[in-house]
Amino acid sequence: MGLGARGRRIEGKTEGKRGSVNIVSARQSASGASIRISRLEKRFGAVSAVDGVDIDIAAGEFIALLGPSGSGKTTILMSVAGFEFPTSGTIHVDSEDLTYVPSNRRNLGMVFQNYTLFPHMSILDNVAFPLKMRGLRTAERHARAEAALATVRLAGYGHRRPNELSGGQQQRVALARAIVYQPRVLLMDEPLSALDKNLREDMQLEIKRLHAELGITVIFVTHDQSEALTMADRIAVLRDGKIQQIGPARQLYERPANLFTAGFIGEMNFVDVRVESVGDDVAVALPWGETWRLPATAAVEPAVAGEAAVLAVRPERLQLGVSPAGQVIAVTLSDVVYAGAALLLIGHLPDGTEMRARIPGASQLSSLVPGDVASFTIPTEAMLLYRGKRR
Amino acid sequence: MKPPTDRGSLALGAYVYAVLAFIIVPLVIVIPMSFSQNDYLAFPPSGFTLKWYSEYFDSRQWRAATWLSVQVALLTALFASVIGTAATYAMIRGHSRLVTAFQIALIGPIIVPHIALAVGLYLFFQTIGLSGTIPGFVLAHTVLTLPFVVFTMAAALGKVDANLEAAAMSCGATRFQAFRLVTLPLVLPSLASSALFAFIISFDEPVVSFFLSGVRQKTLPRRMFEDIEQNLTPVIPAIATLLIMLSILILLGAHVLRSRSVTR
Repeated sequence: MGLGARGRRIEGKTEGKRGSVNIVSARQSASGASIRISRLEKRFGAVSAVDGVDIDIAAGEFIALLGPSGSGKTTILMSVAGFEFPTSGTIHVDSEDLTYVPSNRRNLGMVFQNYTLFPHMSILDNVAFPLKMRGLRTAERHARAEAALATVRLAGYGHRRPNELSGGQQQRVALARAIVYQPRVLLMDEPLSALDKNLREDMQLEIKRLHAELGITVIFVTHDQSEALTMADRIAVLRDGKIQQIGPARQLYERPANLFTAGFIGEMNFVDVRVESVGDDVAVALPWGETWRLPATAAVEPAVAGEAAVLAVRPERLQLGVSPAGQVIAVTLSDVVYAGAALLLIGHLPDGTEMRARIPGASQLSSLVPGDVASFTIPTEAMLLYRGKRR
Repeated sequence: MKPPTDRGSLALGAYVYAVLAFIIVPLVIVIPMSFSQNDYLAFPPSGFTLKWYSEYFDSRQWRAATWLSVQVALLTALFASVIGTAATYAMIRGHSRLVTAFQIALIGPIIVPHIALAVGLYLFFQTIGLSGTIPGFVLAHTVLTLPFVVFTMAAALGKVDANLEAAAMSCGATRFQAFRLVTLPLVLPSLASSALFAFIISFDEPVVSFFLSGVRQKTLPRRMFEDIEQNLTPVIPAIATLLIMLSILILLGAHVLRSRSVTR
């Protein structure tokens, strides 16, 4: 007994939302908190690391902050964790303003890139550490730490030392330590980047499973787009401290909101064009003299007659051969690469622009060799039009 | 087949053995002299006696000087290790622009000649009445030993991932708890080893003690100087032998502590 009362005390603000808490509860679904990041700005001297970021995260949502290094994704996470205080803007968790609350009073779980287990403590003491900080008694701490270890499938490892575990196991212990006090939010700072590829994929599934099981809100920072696409409900793409696009994986991939996202997420072919007229459809002049008429929906950003624009198409949307369902291009092949599930064809358009195509069912295409001129059809609905020039 | 020997490697070998000899010979001379039956310092020693050891242990003056040195060295070890660790922590984790200035000030006593420091401290302590007092000795020795603590602790603290403390704080620990429960246990062997160094440096520090010692309050090294000037009996090599043993013990202890911190 006593567990229920203590459990509620730990929960603090969420008291009463859930029934009594017991040892098994580390496995029960908990309610995540909603997070609202408003007009967040962080300047280091003259440099803006984060420049007016707004993100609304629903309770229980898994959101990934994706961007190249220096894009501000880690600074945003550290501001939510309380290790950085923003220059301006606010961070609310549920309705509570946490913007300037010290990190140790935020009750958020955090997993770092390099495991950060305490090397002088046993695995059990590591996992029980947050409970010790919350004044729980030894027996209770250990029972709950054991339960959390079982949640990450490391039951029975409690007596070992961190340096006796593999990198993946250490990161699972770090995960157990972050969830043992049932926080409403789990923050993860590139948690898998130190692991090798196979282990990383296992851990991605493990974290997704935990997220589903615990119902906790997750903010996950990564520079690995496939990781973000695989794991997150929604992805925020960042660049130079600004959000470029925020949305579910499919939306980011199928209809990137701007040229940066189009080039950053997945592979994309770009062709510089000029907009000739805008009406019921958009007429664009291609570098080799043709004019194509695209449906108005192809213009992701409003097209303006007379301006430069970029036509974008995914390599896997190109179809080999001539078909009336789209525009036909002639590509002089320079490389034919067998890539397992698909054949990668690399070549250039009449004006020299590089074009890549990924054609599944590679076997019947083995007759193609570098130097051949191949005709491809770009389906009308696969074309996206952006303003500006490709880089 | 043996590799060819050339003059260069012979010269290097001779040089290395010469260095070792210069380090070892004084010890080899001092230790036998402490057992000599002569009433004055002489080499080679003649006979064997332990009377110089008993003279040291029986003398009230020698015991008083030793006790003073022990007190001063213990307090110095305490203050230097605590202050040095705190200062090093600030230097390593801090982001102040003053870090470099701070660092120079801390390791200054290694650069400034001890005699200059001693004269300065003497004149200053004389006016404020700290000369010849335990607080005076402890203050002076703490300044002298801080650089050694700073060097040892900078190496140790530099190896502790700053994110460990961040992790502890995200678990609910205050900044101080994070230091006490995570960082401190990890650097404790180095801390103990730097305290031992501070102890031994203070315990046989001659220059500053020479200036600061009063008529009654004399540290052991100062008392030894006086004895050399006035009597020059083999009690000096006897004490020197005891000091050598103490230093060896302490260095061994420090070594054990350090190797333990490495294996962690």
